[in-house]
Amino acid sequence: MPQRNDDVTRRRLLRDGLWGACLAGIGGVAGFAAHKGQKVDWLWQIDPYKCIACGNCATHCVLEESAVKCTHVYGICGYCEICFGFFDPEPLAINEGAENQMCPTGAIERKFVEEPYYEYSISKSLCNGCGKCVKGCNAFGNGSLFLQVQHDRCVNCNQCAIAAACPSQAFRRVPADQPYLLKSVDHV
Amino acid sequence: MTQRQGKMDSGVIITVLICTALLVAIGAVLLVDATGRRGSGLSRVYELDAVRLASFDPNLILYHEVGPPIATGFERSRALALGANGRFYIAGDKAVHVLRDKGTLEQVIRLASEPHCVAVSAEGRLYVGLRDHVAVFDEAGQRIVSWEPLGERSFLSSIVVARDDVFVADAGHAVVLRYDKTGQLIRRIGEKDPDRDIPGFIVPSPYFDLAVAPDGLLRVVNPGRTRIEAYTFRGDLEFFWGQNSIRIEGFCGCCNPANFAMLPDGRYVTAEKGLIRVKIYDADGVFEGVVAGPDELVVGGAARVFLSVEDAEASGFDVAVDPDGRIFVLDTIENTVRLFVEREKG
Amino acid sequence: MVRPRLILVALAALLVVGVAALGLERFPPPEFETDYVRPTTTAPNPPQGLWEYVDAGVLAVTLVLATVLILRTRNRKLIFALMLFCLAYFGFFRNGCVCPIGAVQNVTLTIFDPGYAIPLAVLVFFALPLVFTLFFGRVFCGAVCPLGAIQDAVLIHPVRVPRWLESGLRLIAYLYLGAGVLFAAMGAMFVICRYDPFVGFFRLSGNWEMLVVGACLLLIGMFVGRPYCRFLCPYGVILRQLSRLSRWRVTITPTDCIQCHLCEDACPFGAIRKPTEPWPNKEYQVARRRLAFLLVLLPVLIGAGGWAGYELRQWLAMVHPEVRLAQRIYLEENALVEGTIDASDAFRALGRSSDELYAAATQLRDRFGIGGALLGAFVGCVIGGKLLSLSVKRRRTDYEPDPASCLACGRCYRYCPKEHERLKRGREGLVRH
Repeated sequence: MPQRNDDVTRRRLLRDGLWGACLAGIGGVAGFAAHKGQKVDWLWQIDPYKCIACGNCATHCVLEESAVKCTHVYGICGYCEICFGFFDPEPLAINEGAENQMCPTGAIERKFVEEPYYEYSISKSLCNGCGKCVKGCNAFGNGSLFLQVQHDRCVNCNQCAIAAACPSQAFRRVPADQPYLLKSVDHV
Repeated sequence: MTQRQGKMDSGVIITVLICTALLVAIGAVLLVDATGRRGSGLSRVYELDAVRLASFDPNLILYHEVGPPIATGFERSRALALGANGRFYIAGDKAVHVLRDKGTLEQVIRLASEPHCVAVSAEGRLYVGLRDHVAVFDEAGQRIVSWEPLGERSFLSSIVVARDDVFVADAGHAVVLRYDKTGQLIRRIGEKDPDRDIPGFIVPSPYFDLAVAPDGLLRVVNPGRTRIEAYTFRGDLEFFWGQNSIRIEGFCGCCNPANFAMLPDGRYVTAEKGLIRVKIYDADGVFEGVVAGPDELVVGGAARVFLSVEDAEASGFDVAVDPDGRIFVLDTIENTVRLFVEREKG
Repeated sequence: MVRPRLILVALAALLVVGVAALGLERFPPPEFETDYVRPTTTAPNPPQGLWEYVDAGVLAVTLVLATVLILRTRNRKLIFALMLFCLAYFGFFRNGCVCPIGAVQNVTLTIFDPGYAIPLAVLVFFALPLVFTLFFGRVFCGAVCPLGAIQDAVLIHPVRVPRWLESGLRLIAYLYLGAGVLFAAMGAMFVICRYDPFVGFFRLSGNWEMLVVGACLLLIGMFVGRPYCRFLCPYGVILRQLSRLSRWRVTITPTDCIQCHLCEDACPFGAIRKPTEPWPNKEYQVARRRLAFLLVLLPVLIGAGGWAGYELRQWLAMVHPEVRLAQRIYLEENALVEGTIDASDAFRALGRSSDELYAAATQLRDRFGIGGALLGAFVGCVIGGKLLSLSVKRRRTDYEPDPASCLACGRCYRYCPKEHERLKRGREGLVRH
């Protein structure tokens, strides 16, 4: 009988020890993580200097209408009359006719400013983030059109589905107080 | 008994259902394209079919490359000029490299800032265009003088030396400046002037080239209008040519040609950026043929448009022509000089 | 008071990505003669981070509530109601992200990636259910987890899964946990989140493949109780082990077991264990020898697992985009494949050298060798441990839930006659007052 009692105490001791170790372990991990963490939240964003506008953003987002849309930094734009982000590569005429536009959803607006300058802007509600204009603008223009995750739409998945599918590893987590990676304009 | 039978049936049905669902689920998991290997799946309207439109008949290629490319020794090469003595003057990084025929580095002229363009006079003087001013060097590479800076907005992109004059293209102000050889500004050429029927230059990117043609007129690219305009030294617009098209006969994009040079017989050699191609036009601006297309000029790549801004910005290849009509192309991506000569006819 | 929906992005202040860093001089923008003013680029504000703290608070409150309902009130209806609330709140309202299951990866990344620090709310999501499990068993699984809730809600006709199959299938969850931690540690991908079967339902959108997987799991879940929780959930296996040590836990009977057998089939998750009978003497000898053999086998299994994991490093590493890219570039450069893909085009456009890429990939593969060996050893250890536990018979005199497998759903309570007695007493007590 005393033998059996011993057994029980030993088992309980072992159990208690393990229990304490687990609690300490959770505390240790949490403590380490909390010690390391500044009070930041993370959001997903696209580095425009890595993005190749492959089109995955339009279809790989978990949302029906992608959270990624084209952004235009006016400070880089050349205000070109013949914009390769706006016009079809072989337009019938240089005017705003739908048949001359490159954007399949008609999301780019063109507005005459003054001879010879035109302002281009994105209708966010129409843009689907395919990046076709980004390709055109990067290749021939100044690259003022580029894709960015729009944080009013993004649901901030713990693993962004587009980021996993991005061929140029252009997605990265950014701190929530710097939610955009816009191209810089060092002359402004 | 019948009840038992019924129970067995439901058991079978449930098992079959579970197994089917399991197989479907496993299949669906395997189909998930987490890594994007299947691409975007967007339809063709979302594709920029510039590559297809830019393809051309290979019979139009009139030149072929000779010898291996010569390394410029720069991280970022900017401009190429040929000296009368057969030397290359290449501007890049923060220096001008003087190379002899096979690429031996003969001289390095260090600069405080990045040069954008370079020209050599008949006497061997070197005119280097920096961002906002011109610096002049003697044959030994000693700085003789720096001309008056042109202001913060200026962005000199091209320079050419005539017999008595120096012409400088200022892309930032979209104007050509005519200087005498002492650096005295004589005239501003090409500013918008409805009275003289001058439409003005449109320069959306840092490429704005000029040259003096054998006919004695100045040729200046009007990149925003994708054409080349001819001016007298007094600033009168004589004529222009060039059309916007992605097809081989035209100049493609918002602002092209990026650079050009004149052949001794008055024909043009043009270099386009974005979709990189070097082509020949006759003295009237009629398309003649191709020196090299994107396939040949972009190392390791098929005809393609550029994927990043840096790529595109660096893709304004420069061209220079020697008195024998041989064409030198400065590859600003690979930082080499490549030589092209006319194919023998027959 | 309407909060301005757009923040003006003050370009100069915000922008760090730089042309300046690349040494390029930007060309000046056009100068306008008219009074046209260049618009400033606007970008929509991210939602305020406050919600995450609300979520953490709701998590804490619901955990406390779940503990009370499961261990004290013992009322399945209230537990079910709380479960539905959590499904509605964490699932459909907050879109199921972040959840403790995925948070495992955030914690891993925090440990391995010097550039990443876990947000406080995510840390709370990771740690709080663990602590509660150490004290009270799997109350999180029982009433709070939205993934568990959506499956629990569709369970209409539970069938019994044989013990051997249950134990075998559970191995997937251990493997999944190991893989999730490995890939998160390597910075490759958060696989657990990417392959979450139910988050698509919560958001009411997602890629169709995972929605199909979710639908299939729910279909299976109509007959096999909570299949994700039992056979797949990587967080569940951590909770399993902690639950074995829990201070307080679910008991079927509120007082003493009277061995009435009524609860025997009550559990849809096969967590109720019968009282044991002592080994017959002859079998005892065999069992002892088997135990000795398995104890020797354990290190062998761990070693074999580690070796297999190490050998699989090439394949494991392919989950990392950098290694995939290096592989592709190698094939292209040696003309072993035709054409290019988006990833290789991007690689060339960005001007990295292939030697640098190969070096990075080799380094990653080496790290995957270590990680793979650890993963394999872990799996070997799990298999060995399982075999050992099968050959050890614990003395059990009553019907009781297996603390590891019990999901604290509270279904078994009403099967116990003693529980009915308790409830009756409670009602009478109420009347007396």
